Amino acid sequence: MEKQKLEALLIDYIDGTLGAADRLAVEEEIRTSDEARTLYDQLRLVMNAMHESSPLEPSGDLRKGFESMLKQEISGTGKGKSVFFQPSFYRVAAAVALLIVGGGIGFWISKEQRQADELAAVRKEMERTKQMMMAMLENQQSASQRVLGATVAFNDIEKADDEIVNALIQAMNEDPNTNVRIAALEALGKFHRQPHVRKALIASLSTQKDPLVQIALIRLMVEMKEKNITRELERISNDEEALPAVKDEAQAGILKLS
Amino acid sequence: MKRIFAIIALACFTVGFVNAQEYKVAKSTGRLEIKEVNNVIIEGYAGNEIVFTSRDGKRDEDKRAQGLRSISNNGLEDNTGFGLSVVDKGGAVEVHQFKRADGPNVTIKVPKGVVVSYSHSSPYGDEVKFRNVESEIEVSTLHNSVELENVTGPLTIKTVHGDIDASFGPNIKNPLSIVSVHGHVDVALPVGTKANLKLGTVYGEIFVDPDFKIEVEKSGGMVKYSDNVTGKINGGGLDITLSSTHNNVYLRKK
Repeated sequence: MEKQKLEALLIDYIDGTLGAADRLAVEEEIRTSDEARTLYDQLRLVMNAMHESSPLEPSGDLRKGFESMLKQEISGTGKGKSVFFQPSFYRVAAAVALLIVGGGIGFWISKEQRQADELAAVRKEMERTKQMMMAMLENQQSASQRVLGATVAFNDIEKADDEIVNALIQAMNEDPNTNVRIAALEALGKFHRQPHVRKALIASLSTQKDPLVQIALIRLMVEMKEKNITRELERISNDEEALPAVKDEAQAGILKLS
Repeated sequence: MKRIFAIIALACFTVGFVNAQEYKVAKSTGRLEIKEVNNVIIEGYAGNEIVFTSRDGKRDEDKRAQGLRSISNNGLEDNTGFGLSVVDKGGAVEVHQFKRADGPNVTIKVPKGVVVSYSHSSPYGDEVKFRNVESEIEVSTLHNSVELENVTGPLTIKTVHGDIDASFGPNIKNPLSIVSVHGHVDVALPVGTKANLKLGTVYGEIFVDPDFKIEVEKSGGMVKYSDNVTGKINGGGLDITLSSTHNNVYLRKK
């Protein structure tokens, strides 16, 4: 028999609360096993000692002292009893306070969570917008889709990362369709404060052959007060191949910048 | 009654046979790229063939040319019989004309799903016209004017010296981008069109029908590099860009 189970049975046996069948089993166990017998003897000793020990009585002095203190206490606080400090009031107050604090914490956590969710949603949305924009810009089948891509960049993207900027620069410089180039240029104009963009715009001026884009580019750079382009503008205004309108724009640009 | 129909049909057939030569390409998707064709009208229709028709009377037979074929330095072949080369390159059908100057008067009927791209740079051309085209149109010309009648977009139209006149039905597909350097841009839209407008000119003026209530956006930041008007009509929607550097922009109601 397991020791723990045996112990429990032995305790009940000593107390005399065991059923007949169990009692016989326990007696059998005690007779046959040495271990069980020693355990039984030890337990019996302990339990007898517990039964025989008398309850501890406080000494007379202690009792007197306590009673006098109690009397004092009762006479002192008897009259000053106030409704407000009843224990039930404390309990209610504590419950209400707990409720408020708990509710507050819950609200705060949910608000934090909501804000985090919103932030994640915004970030996801931005990423989605970017992917959509890039896919549109790369659509070789449809120029209007590419225009839309650049328009998305212009309307919906607040701050362009390098990937977006590079895609727009490529569209501005290499797209076969003028409308796409202009749309890309407009989008880049919005991000002109980023140094990378400024550099790309300056570089583009010397390679652009499309008169519409050239004019738009010159006007943008003049608006940006980009003085580094005056030499390039002089070249354009003396370029035999350039359209008169482009030359005029370059000439006007030189005057405005100087 | 049947006889009348029969006669009319016969008449049409003969007239068609004598006057107009036709060339057809079975195509209902992909691109139609028309390059350097001087006189052309492009019409949309519900069908699945691109149909090229010459509007010229039958050319005088050149007896000397009998048994010979017309060739040109760009390696193209006059496979239509009226001075037009049409080559189906799988995704795109390319159309060239044979002569540099002059050339045939052509009408091209285009199914709905075919994107039409027209590019032209020689000074010999005439106005290019689009009518009832319900698919995407890309135009890039140097000298030619562009006329668009009852088209839906999407549009990307660019010309340097030409004027652009366009009128739209109620179904407009995003986006419309119409720009010219020296020509005017004149666009008629239904009053109810919902759009984000970008109207721009540098040396010209912008005229708008008072029925279009434009909520002008204060241009925050940059981009205001000309007398641009950016704003929404009817709450915004389609992206419409109209701009002419040296001429006027007109936005009228249809």
